[in-house]
Amino acid sequence: MSELRTDPRNPWADEDGTVPPDSWGRGTGPKHTLPWGFALVVVLLVVGRFTLAPHLTAPALQTWATIFVAICVQALPFLVFGVALSAAITAFVPASFWTRALPRHPAAAVPVAGMAGAVLPGCECASVPVASGLMARGVPPAAALAFLLASPAINPIVLVATAVAFPGQPLMVVSRFGASLAVAVLVGWLWLRFGRSEWLPIPSRPHGDGPKWARFGEAMRHDLLHAGGFLIVGGLAAATLNVMVPREWLAALAEVPWLAVVVMALLAVLLSICSEADAFVAASMTAFSPTAKLAFLVVGPMVDLKLIALQAGTFGRAFALRFVPLTFVLAVLVSTLFGWLLL
Amino acid sequence: MAAAVNRVTQNLVLIMLGCAVLRISAFSTTYLNYVKPGFRPFLIGAGAVLMILGVAGLIQAWRPGKGSPGAEGHDRSPEHGQGRERARHSRDQGHGHDHAHGGPRVAWLMCLPVFAIFMIAPPALGSFAAARSETPPPRSQALTAFTPLSGDGPVDMPIGEFIGRAWDDDSRSLTGRAVRLTGFVVPSKKKGQWYVTRMQIACCAADAFPLKVAVKGIQAPPPDTWVEVTGTWIPQTFGKMPNGVVYPQLSGTDLMKVDTPDEPYE
Repeated sequence: MSELRTDPRNPWADEDGTVPPDSWGRGTGPKHTLPWGFALVVVLLVVGRFTLAPHLTAPALQTWATIFVAICVQALPFLVFGVALSAAITAFVPASFWTRALPRHPAAAVPVAGMAGAVLPGCECASVPVASGLMARGVPPAAALAFLLASPAINPIVLVATAVAFPGQPLMVVSRFGASLAVAVLVGWLWLRFGRSEWLPIPSRPHGDGPKWARFGEAMRHDLLHAGGFLIVGGLAAATLNVMVPREWLAALAEVPWLAVVVMALLAVLLSICSEADAFVAASMTAFSPTAKLAFLVVGPMVDLKLIALQAGTFGRAFALRFVPLTFVLAVLVSTLFGWLLL
Repeated sequence: MAAAVNRVTQNLVLIMLGCAVLRISAFSTTYLNYVKPGFRPFLIGAGAVLMILGVAGLIQAWRPGKGSPGAEGHDRSPEHGQGRERARHSRDQGHGHDHAHGGPRVAWLMCLPVFAIFMIAPPALGSFAAARSETPPPRSQALTAFTPLSGDGPVDMPIGEFIGRAWDDDSRSLTGRAVRLTGFVVPSKKKGQWYVTRMQIACCAADAFPLKVAVKGIQAPPPDTWVEVTGTWIPQTFGKMPNGVVYPQLSGTDLMKVDTPDEPYE
């Protein structure tokens, strides 16, 4: 641990050196230390409110702040819901349930888990903690990953939103469902075949032996503190790019068909729009081909800035480094195929 | 900063975030600057859950003995030991797996939205955002049939509906009718016109795009002023939609400044 204590990137490593890292969110060290760090934050907030606030009125800054706060505020209820569901899975659902509910063979469990994604009515922020809870409960990682990718894209709310945004184009809904499920299952199988366990440390959970409700609260707090911070990182990046990259740059690229697909896929990553709203945005990009719009709809719920931050925070960087490019490439290829066949 | 990672601080951060969310959703209409009106119950719920978690955690942390069930013993359970080994292992490989140690530091970032809300107090998207995005608004495909406009005097109308009727209505129901549009002012590069604008959001302000109507015949008020503008539609002279960005036009007759509406988006 000594090298961690001197790690300059880890200013707080000193303090939690004696504490098991994953237990952040649990009782630590001296119980009644005064929260000086927090007091400092409050002082900064109060001082800033009265001295800086009148000067923070530049339109660019305000627009950035509006989009940043909007992304956070919009994602927060879904994150809380996902974290609660995940904590409920760990605290109330016995591990034996999953071994009975899923086919024994992992290769068969992957498509089943992907289809199960259709029942979780949420966007991508909810699915990350739920998938991590499933893994902690003994679900094969490949199956949990298929669920993670499928659920934000193919649940009923998102499909209805897509149908509303593309009236008279039911094939768009069909393609979205098919392509998203195909990508989720393919990624699951690839991970099963080539994935290594050291890339994906199964997220460990606080295992309090107290009453169920106390354990539920502990698991929720632990997940919220980990995932919440990373959600903010993603929100910061998405808001910055949203303000800095003018969308008309992209319209010029829409002329070249294959480039249009890649551009829309990248745009989906950068904008980090909630999967329940992305269909409306895709529909508004009138310059782009249907296949490019499909790529936007398939990539967005699986790979975007806030999601990358959340995944890196929940499952580790070694995982995100491999999982994100794999998902992105597969999503672009599969949506091109579906667009070519159906649209 | 010894308190940086202690349990009290974590719960205080949760409470602070919960307070900020409740402040903008339950006790004011500020949340309408960021999300759709229907989102309110979810925001209040999320804020309340954060508060409850934080307060319950504080009570546990400050209650000696009984607090934090089984914490001390179980933190050193084999599973945790393994997690630590693994974390260190991947760090040695140079991937810098940050999960374990990243948690504490990254959780501080949850204060950032609170800072943004209280210090910048982000307003609804205005002319800066509207001028930046020149994407043509989507055609209101959902409205296939337009009901004829009835009644006397100017008709109040959302800007989205005006654009829909202007472009897509085969019966040209807008012809000759006085309409009243509410929006904020966006200056135009062309002389002699400005845009009365409303941002439309599907889910949150990150996906907003502007709905603009070009107003002619009235001196442009300062940018971002909220106005009610009365006028009549100027039918387009082209038969087919030209390439590039075009906005429907309104010949303005009357202008009134209004307060920013509670619900700034359409």
